Amino acid sequence: MDDLPLIRLSDVTKTYHLESGDFTALDHVSLDIAENEFVAIMGPSGSGKSTMMNQLGILDVPTSGELFIAGENVAKMSSLERTHMRRDIIGYIFQKFYLIPLLSAYENVEYPLILKYKKRDTTGRATALLEAVGIDTEKGAHRPNQLSGGQQQRVAIARALVNDPKILLCDEPTGNLDRKTGHQIMDILCKLHEEGKTVIIVTHDPKIAEYAHRTIELEDGKVVAS
Amino acid sequence: MKDIFFDLSVRSVRLNFLRSLLASIGIVIGVVAISSMGMLGTNMQLSVKDQLSSNVNTIILTSDTVKVSSSSGTTTTQSGIDKSELNDIKSSAGQNEVIPIHRTSTQFTLGSTNGRGSIYGLDPNDVPKFLTVADGTNLKGGNDALVGATIAQNFNIVPGSSIKIGQNCATVTRPVVRVSGILEARGISSDNVNADNAIIVSDDWYTTHYGNKDLYDQVNVIVNDVDTINQTEDNIDRKVNRNSQVVRISDASSRLSSISSTLGTITTFIMAIGGISLVVAAVSIFNVMMMSVKERVQEIGILLSIGTEKGEVRRMFLYEALILGIIGAVVGGIMSFIIGYSVVSAMIGSTAYFFRPESLIFIPYGMIIGVVVCVVSGLYPAWAASNMDPIDALRSE
Repeated sequence: MDDLPLIRLSDVTKTYHLESGDFTALDHVSLDIAENEFVAIMGPSGSGKSTMMNQLGILDVPTSGELFIAGENVAKMSSLERTHMRRDIIGYIFQKFYLIPLLSAYENVEYPLILKYKKRDTTGRATALLEAVGIDTEKGAHRPNQLSGGQQQRVAIARALVNDPKILLCDEPTGNLDRKTGHQIMDILCKLHEEGKTVIIVTHDPKIAEYAHRTIELEDGKVVAS
Repeated sequence: MKDIFFDLSVRSVRLNFLRSLLASIGIVIGVVAISSMGMLGTNMQLSVKDQLSSNVNTIILTSDTVKVSSSSGTTTTQSGIDKSELNDIKSSAGQNEVIPIHRTSTQFTLGSTNGRGSIYGLDPNDVPKFLTVADGTNLKGGNDALVGATIAQNFNIVPGSSIKIGQNCATVTRPVVRVSGILEARGISSDNVNADNAIIVSDDWYTTHYGNKDLYDQVNVIVNDVDTINQTEDNIDRKVNRNSQVVRISDASSRLSSISSTLGTITTFIMAIGGISLVVAAVSIFNVMMMSVKERVQEIGILLSIGTEKGEVRRMFLYEALILGIIGAVVGGIMSFIIGYSVVSAMIGSTAYFFRPESLIFIPYGMIIGVVVCVVSGLYPAWAASNMDPIDALRSE
C-alpha cells in the first residue's frame, strides 16, 4: 500500500437518490493526485465539481468504487476516523470563507488546534500564521463580520494551515473577492504549493485555473481531460 | 483550561440574550414553585410535629378487665390495673418512669360556686415528671391539691384557696383540700392526662376518699429514649399480657406518624403542582434550544466539516442548556429563599422552622431539579445538531 499516491479515486461513482429518480453526480471516475501537485478541477455547473470536492474533503463517501486518501480507504473508516482525517490532513478554504461567527479571527485560527490537542494554543502558531497571511494582532481580535472579504479569506487560509495539513482543498477561493484581492489570495496559495502543500482548487474561472500545473475537467460526472 | 465549546455556548447565550433570559425565567418560576411549596409543606409538618411530640414519649396503659375484690365483707367489681399487673409493668419497663394514676370525675365547690372536673390521684413524687407547677408549690401535706390552668382561671383560684370535693349535699360533710399550686396549661396532651380541667391530689388522699387502693385507672410509662418506645411496649406486652389480653397499650407516636404522613402527602401534591410549571419551562427551553440549533445550521456545518467531533458539537449545545439552567436555578434559588420565607410566614404565621436544614434543603433540591430539567430538554436539540450532514448544513443559509 506504500506506493499509493496521496489521493486515488478508483472507479468512484456517487449516486443521489432524488424524488425525480436517481442522479449520478460522479460516474466511474478514476484518477490519481500525487503529493505536492497543484491541481485545478474545472467544469460547468452540474458537472460534479461539488460532489468531487465533497469526496476529496472526506465529507462524503462514494456509492461505489474506492477512494484512498493518504493511504486510507475512506469508505472503510468510521465516522469519527473521518472526522479526525478532516481535522489533521485537509485544510479547507471555501468561497464564502465559513469562519465561525462567534469566534474572533484569532480564535478561528486557533480552533482546529484546540480540536486536535484539546487545549488552548500556547505555541504562538496561530498568531504566527495570521501574521504570515497579513493579519496583525489588532485585526486578529475582530469578529469575522468586522473584517473585509479578503481579510476573512486570509484568516480562513491561516485556519486551514494551522494543523499542517497535507492537502489544501479550495472551493472557488476567489469567488467572493474582487480581482485584485483574488490574485493576492492566489499568490498565497502558490507560495504554499512551493512550500510543499498539495493544492486542489475547484473553480469555473479559467484565469484561476491558469495558476495550477494540472487541470482536471469534469463534464456530466465524467473526467473529460486530466 | 477554558473550554472553547463552553465559550461558544456563553457567546451564543449572550447573542440571544433576551430569548435566553425569557427561557430562564420559566426555570426560575419552576424552581421557586417547587422549593417554596416544599418548604411550606415541611414547615407545616415541623410545626404540627412539635405541637404533638411533647408527650410522644409516653406509653398509655389501661385495662377494661373487671377485677373482683372483697374488703371487709363487701365484694366490689371494678376495672383497672391491679397491683400485680403494675409490678409486671415496673419490672418490664426497665429504666423508664412508671406513673400509676387514679382518676375519676367529681363535683366540687369553691366558696359558693359549684363546678365539675376530673380528679387525679398521683404520687406527689411523680408530679414533676410530666406536669409543671406554674404558681405555688407541689403537693406536700395530706390535704394539698394542684389545680389545672382552666379551672384556676374560671374559678379565680390562687394558691391557698380551699375547695370542697364531692356532691354538694347539705347533710354530708365534704372533705376540703387546700390549693398548693396552679399547673401550667398543657393544651391537648397525648398522654391522656387532661390536667387543665382537673384537680390533682396525692394518691393517699385519693384512696382514702375513693378507695381502690391497689387498682389504677391508668398507668403511664415515660420512655427516656423515644426510639425505644416500640421495644418497651413489646416488653410490657409480653410480660403483662402473657396469659391473656388484660392491658391495653397505646401511645401517641402512631397518631403523630399518621398526621405526618398525611402532611407529607399534601406536601408532595403541592410540589407536584409546582412541578407543572417546570414542565412548561422544559418546553420553552426545548423550543429555545431548537431555535438555536436551527439558526446555527451553517455554523454547525462549518464546525463539523473542519473536523469537530459529533460529541463536541453535542457538548456545545448541552453547555448552552446548562447555562440557561444554572442562571435559572441560581436566580430561582435566591427568589425561593425570599418568596418561601414570605409564604411560610404568611401561611403558618411563624418562621421558627424556616431555617431548619430539612426546610432549607428544598432550595438546593429545586435548583438541582431545574438544572436537570434544562439539560434533559437540551438533549434532543444537541443530538439533532451533532447528527447533521455537514454538506447539507454548509449549504443552508
